[in-house]
Amino acid sequence: MKKLSMLLLIIMVFALAACTANENAGTEKKEGEDKNSKKEKILYLNNESEPTSFDPVIGYDIKSWDPLNNLMEGLTRLGKDNKPEGAMAEDWKVSDDGKTYTFNLRKDAKWSNGDDVTAGDFVFAWKRLLNAETGSGAAFLGYFIEGGEAYNTGEGTADDVKVKAVDEKTFEVTLTSPQAYFLSVITNPAFFPVNEKVATENPQWFAEADSFVGNGPFNLTEWVHDSHFVMKKNDTYWDKKSVKLDQVNWAIIDDRNTAYQMFQKNELDVSAIPPDLSEQLMKDDKVKIDDQAGLYFYRFNVTMEPFQNKNIRKAFALAVDQAQLVDYVVKNEHKPAYGYVSNGFEDPSGKDFRETNGDLIKTDVKQAKELLEKGLKEEGYEKLPEVTLTYSTLDTHQKIAEAMQQMFKDNLGVEVKLASVEANVFATDQKALKYQFARSSFIADYADPINFVENFQTGHPNNRTGWGNKEYDQLIKDAKNEKDEAKRYELMYKAEKFLMEEAPFVPIHFYNQVSLFGEGVTDIVRHPVGYMELKWADKN
Amino acid sequence: MTSYILKRLGAMLVTLWLIVTLTFFLMHSVPGSPFNEERTTNEAIQKNLEAYFHLDEPLYVQYGIYMKSLVTFDFGPSIKRSSDSVNAMLERGFPISFELGFITLVTAIVSGLFLGIIAALRHNGFVDYLAMTIAVLGISIPNFVLATLLIQQLAVTYEIFPAATWQSPMHMVLPTLALATGPMAIIARLTRASMLEVLTQDYIRTAKAKGLSPVKIVFKHALRNAMLPVVTVLGTLAASILTGTFVIEKIFAIPGMGRYFVESISNRDYPVIMGTTVFYSAILIIMLFLVDIAYGLLDPRIKLHKKEGR
Repeated sequence: MKKLSMLLLIIMVFALAACTANENAGTEKKEGEDKNSKKEKILYLNNESEPTSFDPVIGYDIKSWDPLNNLMEGLTRLGKDNKPEGAMAEDWKVSDDGKTYTFNLRKDAKWSNGDDVTAGDFVFAWKRLLNAETGSGAAFLGYFIEGGEAYNTGEGTADDVKVKAVDEKTFEVTLTSPQAYFLSVITNPAFFPVNEKVATENPQWFAEADSFVGNGPFNLTEWVHDSHFVMKKNDTYWDKKSVKLDQVNWAIIDDRNTAYQMFQKNELDVSAIPPDLSEQLMKDDKVKIDDQAGLYFYRFNVTMEPFQNKNIRKAFALAVDQAQLVDYVVKNEHKPAYGYVSNGFEDPSGKDFRETNGDLIKTDVKQAKELLEKGLKEEGYEKLPEVTLTYSTLDTHQKIAEAMQQMFKDNLGVEVKLASVEANVFATDQKALKYQFARSSFIADYADPINFVENFQTGHPNNRTGWGNKEYDQLIKDAKNEKDEAKRYELMYKAEKFLMEEAPFVPIHFYNQVSLFGEGVTDIVRHPVGYMELKWADKN
Repeated sequence: MTSYILKRLGAMLVTLWLIVTLTFFLMHSVPGSPFNEERTTNEAIQKNLEAYFHLDEPLYVQYGIYMKSLVTFDFGPSIKRSSDSVNAMLERGFPISFELGFITLVTAIVSGLFLGIIAALRHNGFVDYLAMTIAVLGISIPNFVLATLLIQQLAVTYEIFPAATWQSPMHMVLPTLALATGPMAIIARLTRASMLEVLTQDYIRTAKAKGLSPVKIVFKHALRNAMLPVVTVLGTLAASILTGTFVIEKIFAIPGMGRYFVESISNRDYPVIMGTTVFYSAILIIMLFLVDIAYGLLDPRIKLHKKEGR
């Protein structure tokens, strides 16, 4: 009996492993198959979450548009140098007033089902983007087009939208004002064409791999929702000779630790860095860091005390040490932000916008103290009203918030309270101006500094500070109507200086894109503004 | 028996209705909205979206619409993923969660019972202490820690198993181990405790005196009684494991149902919140019902029907 139970115990200890080990038969075969096809170039990527939608105008997020950018193509596509190049459009003409663009589509521009890509497909897709019933969050991007905003807000009709198929392969669009960066705006997936015939027959064409019809470098061949999807090189793509990969397998793994472990096992070719390992992995030579046009910042609410006072706002802004936050708190190789517009935008003379306009709010403890004194006097405060700094619940936000709390204490002698709020509630309340001083972020939608500075126009949905100034609004309006690029940049330089002088927010850091790349993986292009390009990617 | 079952079914429907109603109103009383991202959509678009999902109607109208579609088992479309319906999400996720859950349950029950029984039979002996040490470890180590440890050791360092995803039986080993350890430990401890109690009872002594073999005494007489507390916890345990576990599914990138429970709430994806809650509640209620039936089968002294009892 004693022996028997001892035996039983030993069996039990190994039972878990033993029971399941029997089920392993048959798996090796599958791996064997993969090895046979090694000659094919297959890239293994991780999309982290299920794409919201492959409907170009609905999937308004990175997780949908990163893959979609490789399945479809607009009139233009961003090149390796982040400048727009002809894609579906072979060439184009711009009218003298800079408002009307006439695009000539490629003769060999085809859909993956063999249909021709026509000007009508673009008219169909762009009007669909602007149709309020489509419910696209990206519709505002179409407001550049004459009649676009009116149609989207229900004040105009589809016929008033100035997009036109001159003939089968000629597409014409008229803008509200000359926008030189329009060619880069339309690289955005919201402006991808939609095969009108396919979409009319099956309005849900984008929901499954079987029915998906694209026109990009790759073709969607398999999509198991919430699990993975597969893209294969598209043989009907006009520039298929530039495409080097045969296949891209996208896993959907939202746990970054797991993804990193799979990367270590070579089950993934590219991996994000798990937050807990960032310090040691950032030094790894497999790390690749690319700029991303976007800003992490803190908004003041100028409708709440004490931040109605400009000097108090500036005092708080100058008391924050961005370099310290970036180097010792976030530790993700971000660039500290001393202005609003991120690096990477060139003015007509070829100079970087950020470098030209310089550091507009830079840590200065002495001046911060003086400004606080001045502000207190102006408002007649004996003591500064209580300040609460609010952020949405997340480790990294909390770390930054705590560091800032300490900086305000050390540099201004002000005790700031912290409040962590659930993300969705936070977003709602911030829009309703319920917070005094709250975390925020902005990622550019199109590659022009105007996309940054326009956000602080009075009442703009991205303003969310209560701040507004007529002079500033006029500067933005003028910039939007200016045809001369040099003058337009002058106006934007002026606008940014004006804005930072008023300091309705505190910039913290610019964003970047950090990933580990496996050996032999080359030419995956990530633009500061835009989506992942696998067109030129290779794996050896 | 039949009338008992019918009565229970009626009570189950009422319970389910209460849960649906409570969830519906609680969920809408939480601040936030499904259309709430860092990038702001303009008001016109927002209004269109709200109208499409009937979110602009008064709450009682929305409740009516929802109950009407629920009766036909239509959980509606997901707000976040507009081309996906909640039904499709459940149909996709549940079989996978169920598969993982089922293997886990079998593993946990079999190994838990064994550990519990041998511990009880060797009460205060070395085997007992060893089995209970394993059980205590199983209870105290959170499954996400165990999961990460397993991946790091058995997948990355020793490359025996794949690290994650859900493809072949080989992929199922690590998540099953990580998920089964906790329930196994609970079952082992319960079994041990109730076995110890049962083994000292008179009827066991009688059985021994009759000269029955130890194996027969343990399995036929003792275990049957000792199983009752285990069966009690099995109901809730099975419901929660079979419908997916967020953490384990996330760590192993298993496309089960678990993520919908958590993500739907942070997204305020109302139809998905309702769908997953109704689904989980239904399974839980059914499990509890099955547990009650099982009581009667295990222990003839427990009568499900009042008249039979008297």
